[in-house]
Amino acid sequence: MAIALQLRKPPMGGIGKRVAYYPGCSLEGAARAYDVSTRIVAKELGLELDYLEDYNCCGAMETKNVTFWGTMLLNARNMSLARKQGHSVIVAPCNGCSFSLQRAEYFLETDKKVFERVNELLKEGGVDPLDEIPHTYHILEWFYHEAGPERVKERTKKPLKGLKVANYYGCLYTRPHFYARTYSHTGGQDEEARPRKRDTADDDEHPYYMEALLEAAGATSVEFEPMHTQCCGGPHSLSDEQVSEKFVMMILQTAKRNGADIIATECPLCHASLEMYRHRLMMKGVPDVDVPAAYFTQLLGIAFGYSAGDVKLKDNLSDPIPVLRRLGLV
Amino acid sequence: MAIHERSLVEPERILRKERLVIDGVDVSGDWNLIILPRTIEDYDLSFYDEVIAQPEGKTIVNCYQCSYCTASCPVHNYWDERYNPRHFIYLARLGLIDELQKRADVMWRCVSCHKCTHRCPKGVLVEEVLKAILRVMAKRGLIEEYPSKKFDKFFMDTVYEYGRIEDGELLFGWIEKQGYKVVKDPILKKPIPFMGGVPEWLKQLAAKPIKNMNIGFLLLNAKHMLFHPRTKNWNRFKQVLRKVMEEEGVFTH
Repeated sequence: MAIALQLRKPPMGGIGKRVAYYPGCSLEGAARAYDVSTRIVAKELGLELDYLEDYNCCGAMETKNVTFWGTMLLNARNMSLARKQGHSVIVAPCNGCSFSLQRAEYFLETDKKVFERVNELLKEGGVDPLDEIPHTYHILEWFYHEAGPERVKERTKKPLKGLKVANYYGCLYTRPHFYARTYSHTGGQDEEARPRKRDTADDDEHPYYMEALLEAAGATSVEFEPMHTQCCGGPHSLSDEQVSEKFVMMILQTAKRNGADIIATECPLCHASLEMYRHRLMMKGVPDVDVPAAYFTQLLGIAFGYSAGDVKLKDNLSDPIPVLRRLGLV
Repeated sequence: MAIHERSLVEPERILRKERLVIDGVDVSGDWNLIILPRTIEDYDLSFYDEVIAQPEGKTIVNCYQCSYCTASCPVHNYWDERYNPRHFIYLARLGLIDELQKRADVMWRCVSCHKCTHRCPKGVLVEEVLKAILRVMAKRGLIEEYPSKKFDKFFMDTVYEYGRIEDGELLFGWIEKQGYKVVKDPILKKPIPFMGGVPEWLKQLAAKPIKNMNIGFLLLNAKHMLFHPRTKNWNRFKQVLRKVMEEEGVFTH
């Protein structure tokens, strides 16, 4: 059950209209559609993304299994670059990137030894040491609190009428609360147990920011719990195919059987995983898996009056164009 | 009689008799199922110390075995019952190394979804603790090479080399490591996606942008495959990265 409308938080602001933008490796390669559409949406909502020059990989979910200090260093370097550009807020559109940066933030904040050692190592590597630890937000949280559904409604020129969307958040947007700083918006005893909770963060078990933004743009959300935060196989997408395939099958079938036309995603890794395994499942003849996926920014871009070419819908290997054409949106 | 968490008991230790008569008394029914006892000879407490010594492994001390992690775990629920985070923590704390070793074939399957860490009422970073346990096991040679570890290493090497990753290289490099035959062009030694023994689904997916005449996408990815995206001034930073990893004993590049 999704969280009730009247319990939803109003946009609070306070993050800043101009922030450091950490796109991550994926968004400059295979997931360029997400990058392009994110920039379009930010521009339309009156927000400014300051590209983080010369960043490095965040290490994703892989390097942290190999080396703790190495992963801390990779992320501290990016933080240091953001500080150099004069920012105390980093925004990342990828779940993996925001997770890695927030994880580094957690260890730097809670462990003084880690902070001191990392600073020494940064100096040694020719990067400015950190004077302050910048906070990392997922781009969805930033859009919701700095622009909000009202602003989206204002800018919408072509409402996504009749489009039934399954909002897929993926794992690391809301989890774990130590890093993502989420908490239960409905209150309850949980609240004291979340020492690092951040007011602007999404609800932990029933996230709704993407839902709220897309509904403001005219789309209808279908019931998608609990698959909205179910894992897609994540870091094991390539190395453990059987498990990933089963997880993706569960996600796609739930979406289809709940009547969704399209799955809205907010992470290039989840997106790639869904599209890749969708294709394989369809080749095997598994029923009810033919739901296409699109980034939520692509859908917002279309609602703002941009064409399919502008938001690079052709880049999506799962072909969402026929579905959108049927509804007269592209 | 039901056995709670049956997956934790080896099948050969469960004895079940249709009819059981002991000393002339028929005890069939509730009493016809027996779990054979086992002998534990040694507890290796140094294993636990090694887990705590790692920065991610510290929080293992908070665990009170409520099994919320196991109840949340998608790998446990949807894939293999033998994957049981609570039990792994229990075994690591007691130092029952051979018991851990028996589960080495499923222990690497964690998909890092962090449901366990998120829901833990005691603030244990379960996912990280499990990874710390795995690392200690690997260090002691208790676990063989497993697919995700190979992939992690492969990923780390790319990051170490260039500072950034590139999707095409990662995908085809991994496919090649899996034993598929990838055809490379003779001059630059870059993979050609549509030739060789690449799996059929990947060939079809790679052909999609061509069918769609998506020229911008093709050019961008071709550019990245030819000239790997790099971070500037990476060489100096690389040395620090190397130093840190050598200290941890994980540098293998």
